[in-house]
Amino acid sequence: MNNRSLHLQLGGDAACYTVPIGPVHPALKEPIRFTFELEGERVVGVDIKPGFAHRGIEYMALKRNLIQVLYLSERICGICSISHPIAFTQAVENAAGIEVPPRAQYIRTIIGELERIHSHLLWAGVGAHELGFDTLLHLTWNVREKAMDLLEQLSGNRVDYAIPIVGGVRRDIPEEKLGLAYEAIAYYRGLLDTMIDAYLRDASVARRTKGVGALTAEQAQSLAAAGPVARAAGLRKDVRQDMPYLAYADFPVRAITPEDYGLTPSGDVFDNIVVRLLEVAQSIEIIEFCLANLPKGELTSIPKVAALLAALKKASGEGIGRHEAPRGEVFHYIRLEEGKEEPSAWKVKAPTYSNLMSWVPKFLGAEIADIPIIAASIDPCMCCMDRVHIVTGDRETIWTQDQLLRLSREKTRRIVQ
Amino acid sequence: MTPDRIRDAVRQALGKRLLDDRIVERSVGTNTRRAIYDLWLTVPPDALHDAVAELVGRFAPHFTVISGDDLGESISFIYHFTVGWGERFGEVSVNLRTTVEKANLRLPTLTDLIPGAQTSEREKHEFYGLEVLGIPDDRNLFLPEDSTIHPWRKDLEGETERFVHRAVEWEATDE
Repeated sequence: MNNRSLHLQLGGDAACYTVPIGPVHPALKEPIRFTFELEGERVVGVDIKPGFAHRGIEYMALKRNLIQVLYLSERICGICSISHPIAFTQAVENAAGIEVPPRAQYIRTIIGELERIHSHLLWAGVGAHELGFDTLLHLTWNVREKAMDLLEQLSGNRVDYAIPIVGGVRRDIPEEKLGLAYEAIAYYRGLLDTMIDAYLRDASVARRTKGVGALTAEQAQSLAAAGPVARAAGLRKDVRQDMPYLAYADFPVRAITPEDYGLTPSGDVFDNIVVRLLEVAQSIEIIEFCLANLPKGELTSIPKVAALLAALKKASGEGIGRHEAPRGEVFHYIRLEEGKEEPSAWKVKAPTYSNLMSWVPKFLGAEIADIPIIAASIDPCMCCMDRVHIVTGDRETIWTQDQLLRLSREKTRRIVQ
Repeated sequence: MTPDRIRDAVRQALGKRLLDDRIVERSVGTNTRRAIYDLWLTVPPDALHDAVAELVGRFAPHFTVISGDDLGESISFIYHFTVGWGERFGEVSVNLRTTVEKANLRLPTLTDLIPGAQTSEREKHEFYGLEVLGIPDDRNLFLPEDSTIHPWRKDLEGETERFVHRAVEWEATDE
């Protein structure tokens, strides 16, 4: 998609540079190509081409049974590795009319919120790195390890926790592990002020991020933005609040916008940091509530996988599943037919799918040195740029990711000096 | 927001062109049970734009995605929206279905009403071969730029198999 198809245009047609960035970088989970049009240092146009990592998961799913599809859904994203299964299992449970025991609902919620904490901290660290604050990157990622360790203790895995199954969860949180969870909560609660201080009260972070990559509430609404990107722009929109499910139906979640930090939302990079950091605090509260009120009882309504597959084969109907993943709303639609083990239709919508178009207004008017942090601000996990290929007339220069990063860091240094 | 308010508004705007409507109530919560609602509407292809215009004009819906469902001779496209966000338990999911014959696979664009629908419309264009009338940009989005296959069409399965096979062979020989 590009700015022309959205009727957004800056300057005239006098763009003198075309700068393709991407698509492939081995460190990225989602390679993507941006083609920027530049007038001097200013971005006046952008064309975005995703799809380089399209693995055909929805196509594959139509040839597999629903338990196999659950495994596929878990592998859509390495960071959101419980968000997709939560949405998928809800869609199947709605289609087949399967109830989920209360304890299973709470366990799904706890793991989902731990995922939000580690995802937001991962993002904050990447953002700090893009700006050149590597000390902050190391601090943030060190702090993130506590959530990863707890996830490993609770599920056995740092990623792909394999917790939800249709009708419940596969693993309990035993009494003796609760202490570890409470310890992690206390750890994060004690660190929140330090993190807020490091990111939000730092003059150089503010100067590099305020007013950079702004998005108005109207743009966020019309471009169908989701998650922290929409909330940073001022839309109080969060599936956990709007249409509660799992334990969120018991705990009053309120969508967080920069207003909660006393700011007027502008959707810029700074607002994105505010929303994500405050959401870490919110996740801590949700986990604490779930641990304190963890219901007793069954883990799943159909414990045997063979019986579950047989029940699903008899089921017929359609359902949707929605979950507020760290990056925004995950949506799954599924249709089941009686006598078939595999789904008849399956559609997955990940948050970045919704937020792709928001990049266009965010990039317009920005400087080249701000491209990495704006690209990172929607949290697509693709802030490490592959290379920049600059064409000026018939003269070509290839810029590496390092050079682009250096440009961003030099800007920070100029500001700090 | 209540689902019947949305249904009544669409019914009033479309009249007999609203072919089917269904409200699904789901119960959530472990302590106190509360209800949430999915609204399913079915309209003919020529009423799709009017139905969405009514939703946009009165309810400021949030566009989620378009699902596709290959039924053999025809394809169902389901436009998923949510209405009433911003308030706890205030949101209703609205799912607008329209079925198009494969022989005449075209639908109007919604990008004039919701610019953010472009991503999903382009996806349906490339994966199902749906012609989206009036879309401002109809290049492939997720598939390679020069690809002409439609992987989610069950009747064109052989074509997709060959494409995947070729890609695997090509990768194997790529040094």
